[in-house]
Amino acid sequence: MSYPLKLSAIIELFSGLSDAEKRETLISYADQARLQEPKEGEQFDLEDVRKDEECTDTVAVFLRLDERGGAHFRVTLGPQVQTLTRAMSSILCKGLDGITPDEVLAIPADFVPKIVGAELVRLRSQTVYYLLTRMKGVAKVWLQRQRQASLGMEVLDKDDAACE
Amino acid sequence: MTMMSATFTTEAMSIDSNYAHPEALVSTSWVSEHLKDEGIRIIESNEDVLLYDMGHLPGAVHIDWQRDLQDHTIRDYIQPEAFAALCSKNGITPDTTCIFYGDKSNWWSCYALWVFRLFGHDKVKIMDGGRDKWIAEGRPLTRELPKFPATTYPAPLVRRDAEIRAFYDDALAQSCSKLPLIDVRSPGEFKGQVTHMPEYPQEGVLRGGHIPGAHSVPWKQAVNADATFKSAADLQKIYQSDLGLKPDDEIVAYCRIGERSSHTWFVLNYLLGFKGVRNYDGSWTEWGNRVGAPIEKSL
Repeated sequence: MSYPLKLSAIIELFSGLSDAEKRETLISYADQARLQEPKEGEQFDLEDVRKDEECTDTVAVFLRLDERGGAHFRVTLGPQVQTLTRAMSSILCKGLDGITPDEVLAIPADFVPKIVGAELVRLRSQTVYYLLTRMKGVAKVWLQRQRQASLGMEVLDKDDAACE
Repeated sequence: MTMMSATFTTEAMSIDSNYAHPEALVSTSWVSEHLKDEGIRIIESNEDVLLYDMGHLPGAVHIDWQRDLQDHTIRDYIQPEAFAALCSKNGITPDTTCIFYGDKSNWWSCYALWVFRLFGHDKVKIMDGGRDKWIAEGRPLTRELPKFPATTYPAPLVRRDAEIRAFYDDALAQSCSKLPLIDVRSPGEFKGQVTHMPEYPQEGVLRGGHIPGAHSVPWKQAVNADATFKSAADLQKIYQSDLGLKPDDEIVAYCRIGERSSHTWFVLNYLLGFKGVRNYDGSWTEWGNRVGAPIEKSL
């Protein structure tokens, strides 16, 4: 499967870099993570806040759907969240911006090693996939709720029809 | 450039002299004044694998617990030859005093120090307060990578597993004999409510709970808000007055993969002077998944 255009551009950027350059670029993305925090007055369709004050810190994922069904993610990260997670939040908020929740769910995770490099994947294994997993989880919950809501509407329509 | 040999005095280090081994700690201010001393090597060990790249103490080398200390073909530490090569690469000789520091209130620096002790490298210290305190005090970081001439470090003849490391059978025997077992994880993990941390699914377990008879003393109780270790008096209250441990007790500490318990191992061994403390690094990821291992849960 091909990746969303914005994500493809980021993957392309990383693909020509050495592992050392990848690290530098990841740090640059990590430094920009605060730009992906919710803006004042923004309303969200779903929020998923998880606290892990023992090992890392709080990671909150916010999802907003636009009128065309495009997903927009925001993320807030506690001060102790790892640099890799901060970098991935910046990359994924940009790379997945505007695609549908179904498309978010369909994205294969195989692009992650292309971005962070084989060594970091080996050293911190699943940690590098953490935020993608969280975003997919939020997209999945949103889709389930939509389906449940539409099923409910269908039942109501049938009930209405039965009454007529 | 004039190089000075390192001298360590408790007064100069602002370290509580009532610790059993105050010489096992150095303060951030001491380190800042001795960055270029001969005979010491400053070593950063972190949970966050990119922190060192973002900036580290001038002259500090980076030792990563996964990349440098683990043998990935077997769940174990590197062999003596690999340890010797690691030291050689970082300009460490058997006489070098290694000063460890890092993130997470020095979890991983205590872990790295413990692994160095496994290989018989006893000239080891922790920078009290770790990376967070250094930064909070506005001290300098650099992204420049230090270069040290490779040294000759003889491969240690043995790894001292029997002295400071516990295995599953040791922990089981400890439990069956009702000897002190310290579970240093968070209360939720101890109770069995948490089987893995959100960001660490690979460190999950099939069953939550704790080793039968274990006492819950979260590692965090031993540190202040600024990541420094609590005073000797405070530590004595926690581990001796309240928990009832005695300096001659045979003690096994564990957590999930052995890093938080090496922090407690450091506290009990160096700061309180307990002689018989071992770190069970297999910890809950082994015990909680192992067929036939008994567990307790609590409300």
